[in-house]
Amino acid sequence: MGLRSLEYVVQEAFTGIRRNGLMAFASVSTIALSLGVLGAFGLLVLAANNFAAAQINRFEIAVFIVGRNEADIQPTLSRIRQMSGVASARLRDREKEWAALKRDRPDFESAGVRIESIPFAVDVRVSDPDRLSVIASKIRLLPGVDAVKEGREAYQRVMVLARAVKALSLVGVVVLLVTTVFIISNAIKLTLYARRLEIRIMQLVGATNQFIRLPLVIEGVVFGAVGAVAAWVLLTIGGSYVSSVAQQIVFLGRISSGVGSGQLAMWLICLGALIGAAGSFVSIRRFLHD
Amino acid sequence: MIQLDRVTVEYPNGVRALHEVSLSIAKGDFAFVVGPTGSGKSTLLKLLYREVVPTAGTVIVEGEDVGMLKPAAVPYLRRKLGIVFQDFKLLPQKNVWENLAFAMRAIGASPREIRRRIGEVLELVGLTHRCDSFPHQMSGGEQQRAAIARALVNHPTLLLADEPTGNLDPDTSWGIIQLLDQINTQGTTILVATHDNQIVDRMRKRVVELDSGCLVRDQQRGGYQSVGCVQDVTYGT
Repeated sequence: MGLRSLEYVVQEAFTGIRRNGLMAFASVSTIALSLGVLGAFGLLVLAANNFAAAQINRFEIAVFIVGRNEADIQPTLSRIRQMSGVASARLRDREKEWAALKRDRPDFESAGVRIESIPFAVDVRVSDPDRLSVIASKIRLLPGVDAVKEGREAYQRVMVLARAVKALSLVGVVVLLVTTVFIISNAIKLTLYARRLEIRIMQLVGATNQFIRLPLVIEGVVFGAVGAVAAWVLLTIGGSYVSSVAQQIVFLGRISSGVGSGQLAMWLICLGALIGAAGSFVSIRRFLHD
Repeated sequence: MIQLDRVTVEYPNGVRALHEVSLSIAKGDFAFVVGPTGSGKSTLLKLLYREVVPTAGTVIVEGEDVGMLKPAAVPYLRRKLGIVFQDFKLLPQKNVWENLAFAMRAIGASPREIRRRIGEVLELVGLTHRCDSFPHQMSGGEQQRAAIARALVNHPTLLLADEPTGNLDPDTSWGIIQLLDQINTQGTTILVATHDNQIVDRMRKRVVELDSGCLVRDQQRGGYQSVGCVQDVTYGT
């Protein structure tokens, strides 16, 4: 295809959009809404996954080590810190622990319990939550370790929930993606149907299929990209509102999908343009069929 | 120019539109294809611009075996043809000039060539003063003239007209046929499918008659009805 033809093809694509304004608007808004729903679901899934991961990472192993003073427990503490899979091991302030214990159980002090008789508490964080139990078992074998609390049940419940969220969201994204492709290609098919006479005349005067197809595919790309920008605007406005509401709910705290605004725009535009091009390409085949 | 040899066309629904039709049309001929509705007139024309392919037999247009053409070669065959329809098939959002330019641009003509050629054909069909008009602003006769101009704009050697006067009153129809005759005198081969008996009788051109898909008459200087006419050539010679 020569430069003149290419110039014509691009010009014809934009003339087509201008002249079929209402159909173009219908297509772009359908694409915007479809991509908006898909994008919102995608962001929600990412946020849910991040939230679940954050909950899992909060799990710690509480280790209680017997010793008269800090120097006594240092060897054990060092061995814990050197264990593979341990991210950190933080020694709690025994004075504070003793104060808290006295507050909760005033009878302890009168029964003769002293600060020296309570074990040192160490909070151990692991780098891989799946290895929580294995590490806890290893710590139990260390000298001076009195007790290890790993909160396994709560951890397992959260893990099951996180896995379910991941599986469901994957299915949801696939179903929504297929639906979006179907809706967008249908919208494009309608715009092509409105222009079937143009396509027919081009065929009758001897335009090649490539020459007929290219402006319409460019139109599809433009529709997809413009729809994606509209979807991005909707998601940005809607997202900041949802985020501000979520922050007011204490247990949710600050949740985020982890996807930046620019990154989201890029993904949506690429997806919209790709679906627009593919939708046009596939739909035109029906009209070009001899 | 056109050579049909024992051509049969059967549609997928089992309807046999043409049956063993043999026909030869020389360069520069003007011929009417007549016959009742469903006799195969439109199918015959569609064969020539490769809208349908023959089930059996061969169709040669401008030296090319149309039935054997690869899909990618079809546009290049159509560039040699001009096609006119009963319903004009003009683009409603484009004016006359743009309708013609659209047909030229679709095959990659240069802007200079477009400007020059459109002026020529609009003058030929008598629509120079209507070049800015949109189809809905014109009469049926003017719209058909615009459609003929579009069919001519790419210098076709063969012009196919499928019921070109079907939507027009007798006077306007006569004007359109006169225009086609004028185009024919400049060397373009013309094939007109019609059931307008007045025009066929008045023009006294070659008449090819189809009935139920069979060629039943091929007569030089013929009338619409075969009764009382001498048949020059008959039954698919």
